[in-house]
Amino acid sequence: MTWTLVAATLAASVAAGTSLLYAALGETLGERAGIINLGVEGVMLVGAACACAVASSTGSPYLGMLAGAVAGVVASAPFAYAVVDRAANQLASGLSLLFLGFGASALIGNPFVGALIPPLPSVSLRMPLGEGAAAVRVDFLVAAALPLAGLVAWLLMGTRWGLRLRAVGENPVAAFAAGCNRRRLQYEALAIAGMLSGLAGAHVALGVAYTWAEFMTGGRGFIAIALVMFARWNAWWAVAGALLFGAAEAAQLQLQAGGVDVSPFLMNMAPYLLTLALLPFTGKAGRLAAPAALGRPYRGVE
Amino acid sequence: MRAPRWLDLPPAGAAVLALALFGAILAAAGKHPLQAYYDTATYVLASRQGFTELFVRMGPLVMTALAVAIPARVGLFNVGGEGQLYMGALFATGAALYAPLNGPLLLAATILAGFAGGALWALVPALMRIAGVANEAITTLLLNYVAPLAVAYQIFGPWRSPESSSYPQSHRIAEAARLPSLPTTRVHAGLAIAAACLALCVYVFNRTRWGLEMRAIGANRLAAAHLGLPVRTYLVVAMALGGGAAGLAGMAEVSAIQGRLVSEVSPGYGYMGFLVAWLAAGNVSRIVSMALLFAVISAVGDVLQITQRVPYAVVNILMAAILFSVLCVGPGARRR
Amino acid sequence: MKKLLLVILALLAGSVFAQDKPLTVGVIYIGTANDYGYNRAMKDGVEAMKKALPAVSVLEAENVPETAESERIMSAMISKGAKLIMATSFGHQEFANSLARSNPGVTFVHAGGWMIRDNFGTFFGATQTAWYALGVAAGHMSKAGKAGFVAGVPIGYVVGNINAFQLGARSVNPKFVTRVVVTGGWSDKVKEAAAANALIDQGADVLTMHVDSPATVIQIAENRGIYSIGFQSVEARALAPKGWITGLGFNWAPYMTRTAQEVMAGTFKGKMVREGLKEQMLVLAPFGDAVPQPVRDAVNATAAKIADGFTPFKGPIKDNTGAYALREGEAMTNADMGKFDWYAEGIVGRVR
Repeated sequence: MTWTLVAATLAASVAAGTSLLYAALGETLGERAGIINLGVEGVMLVGAACACAVASSTGSPYLGMLAGAVAGVVASAPFAYAVVDRAANQLASGLSLLFLGFGASALIGNPFVGALIPPLPSVSLRMPLGEGAAAVRVDFLVAAALPLAGLVAWLLMGTRWGLRLRAVGENPVAAFAAGCNRRRLQYEALAIAGMLSGLAGAHVALGVAYTWAEFMTGGRGFIAIALVMFARWNAWWAVAGALLFGAAEAAQLQLQAGGVDVSPFLMNMAPYLLTLALLPFTGKAGRLAAPAALGRPYRGVE
Repeated sequence: MRAPRWLDLPPAGAAVLALALFGAILAAAGKHPLQAYYDTATYVLASRQGFTELFVRMGPLVMTALAVAIPARVGLFNVGGEGQLYMGALFATGAALYAPLNGPLLLAATILAGFAGGALWALVPALMRIAGVANEAITTLLLNYVAPLAVAYQIFGPWRSPESSSYPQSHRIAEAARLPSLPTTRVHAGLAIAAACLALCVYVFNRTRWGLEMRAIGANRLAAAHLGLPVRTYLVVAMALGGGAAGLAGMAEVSAIQGRLVSEVSPGYGYMGFLVAWLAAGNVSRIVSMALLFAVISAVGDVLQITQRVPYAVVNILMAAILFSVLCVGPGARRR
Repeated sequence: MKKLLLVILALLAGSVFAQDKPLTVGVIYIGTANDYGYNRAMKDGVEAMKKALPAVSVLEAENVPETAESERIMSAMISKGAKLIMATSFGHQEFANSLARSNPGVTFVHAGGWMIRDNFGTFFGATQTAWYALGVAAGHMSKAGKAGFVAGVPIGYVVGNINAFQLGARSVNPKFVTRVVVTGGWSDKVKEAAAANALIDQGADVLTMHVDSPATVIQIAENRGIYSIGFQSVEARALAPKGWITGLGFNWAPYMTRTAQEVMAGTFKGKMVREGLKEQMLVLAPFGDAVPQPVRDAVNATAAKIADGFTPFKGPIKDNTGAYALREGEAMTNADMGKFDWYAEGIVGRVR
């Protein structure tokens, strides 16, 4: 393998990893608050469709990006109501959100199939390795990714809000006793998560593919959920995970272009198998590092 | 903070609410919902094709719902029906193509291999669970990604058939390995397998000591262990049986419908099956009516696509509307 | 309330009967009809047929996968009265064929296949030979002598297009190299974008593709300031005002109109139709502004030669392992175009 190929793969993993990171950071917040959302993929699709619709109609990719963020929050609302206020099964609610996203994005995106989508403006940073034309293309969302991870890490670990949020995710009864407003905290976490998933979808549409297509996020929302587990519910690890998962996706095409013969399917399996293999080591003494109340509906103090 | 009582609708109310919501969305998009519902009714009730297609869809939905319901009996969450279905399809194809058998034996081997593929795929999460190292909801979900990639690896690589201009799909499986279908329809013996599995579950759950013990484990694992029940064995076996059920669904798709391994074995049956099982709320016989509901929804999708020029995927809004109606305003949303 | 419902039902029923026309045509697309590509070309053909034949009404379904799902959609169309079904994607073939067996009263035409029965015919453009002209254009325009080819599903026909492209380019520049990346699907935009970027990273300065929609690859090429060559629909040139060289597009209208007329007249007979530049089932797209006159002349001359019966697939041709794929005196005909399982010399990639 040549340095050119390594440089190109690294550069491409940034493009592939950005949307994964946004979605994973959102999901990290939600799961820290005790709520697992299997519908990330659906929210990303709605974000992508709305981003395309608005960017195409107004000609402004930044307005499209904003629309993706707003759409992510709106699309997550029924899910949030079901799990926060109605104590509904989170897995079923998440899958319902997934199907809602499939349908809503297809309906919203349909008039914009084949429409010209203005891409997010970007600057190319040439890779210092190799001789090819490999460059990291930095658009607004790529540039904001690292600061965002830092912000999420600080919110979770450095603020009272984060402390309360984690308390709700670990032990809602004790958090209630300590005076935390569980309902409000969970709604806030899910709103931010929805916004970040919407932005993740917007990046796929405006930063990578420059077009709308049904199901275009291609399972990245699910990968983000796996990524959160891989990253042990930690925002900084999510950055490393996003690069790794992004690299696995990017490498299969880069290696083909470079004439290296490996099965793309086996390479795509690697991140999941790695996550699976690492799960036993993510907790202390055989216990998961997952928030203890993850997935359990809060039924009050009974 | 509790939602007011008046929000608790009866089940039929939730369905009507969902239809009305979906209709409003369609109308807002400039389509004609009443016409669409009317077309669906005539398609499903008055055309042979539309009517029989319901049963084609119900088979895999019932099986993937059982894949959730059986482990749920002992308190486990199996979100991996989709992956187990793909593994069942993969193993079944392997047996159908390469087992040195003929006639009914080949079909039997295909069916068994399908079951084994799904069961093995569910076994990994089960073992990780009883070893106390990972939650089964997480691991089954992760394995959903791996199984379709394994299928793609085979059909783009070792199993790729040179016929059909090297289109990525396996060789056609032998006639002897194919599940029989009703003449001139696509309704196949997979439905009979699903019915048999369902009946067996109802019997075991309600009439046998095993069923009682499973319920005890599902209700309180610690207490059941104190009573001397082999809890770990039950967890593993229930998970494997569930996976096997999904594997049989994958087997039937290959053996009866496609006739070969293709990259898209399932249009998301595994995930829909989870929702069917959840709507049935632990009541095994209600799985039938919920699977029928999902089959009808997919018929709505077909009709919408052809007569109203709405992408098929839009029907997912109707599915979500029904689910959220039940989740948010349905009866006893809390109890599920 | 009940009365209102009855009135509505009556109106709906009325509108259903009022639509009764001599021929209902059911068309299934694998993607969305407005994709600047394959499905758009099909859709344009259908629209032109509708315009030419007022007696024809059309049922359409988009995003129909190449699985048994397609059989379900086609039979739903038949139960809605379709007497002519156009199955427009390669993988729809055997499902359409099996329906043709059980529905002798319905006529089927399939794009790209080879199965034939009385009520089942296939049609396609003879793209492989025509791609040679695109290769000639790339050979002239590429400064680096390196092209990138984004391929969807590596079936024999696609491999044939890639080979013809490379042979055409080598006829101009004997050191020309074409790198191939396979995405594994006809329409996976995100992978197409990543593949296009990967190829540019490896030094390609001309990109082309065989996927359903050329839009994504062309836009990436334009954004990164290199040339692009389109395929499927000639409309895609609008996406690359600076880098567009030329492209190959389908013109399905004459065939579709002819077929619908045959079905209405009861004279349809299933056969394999392969037409090319000569019959104008394939058309060369207008050149981009960047293409100088001598190159235009060379490409046009090549296209004229192909229309006159020239084929690039005449031995001796070496494959990219150095072995002879076709020996002196061997040749491949139109009927062999699905059988390519080798890449020509200078192509970086592996068929399987």
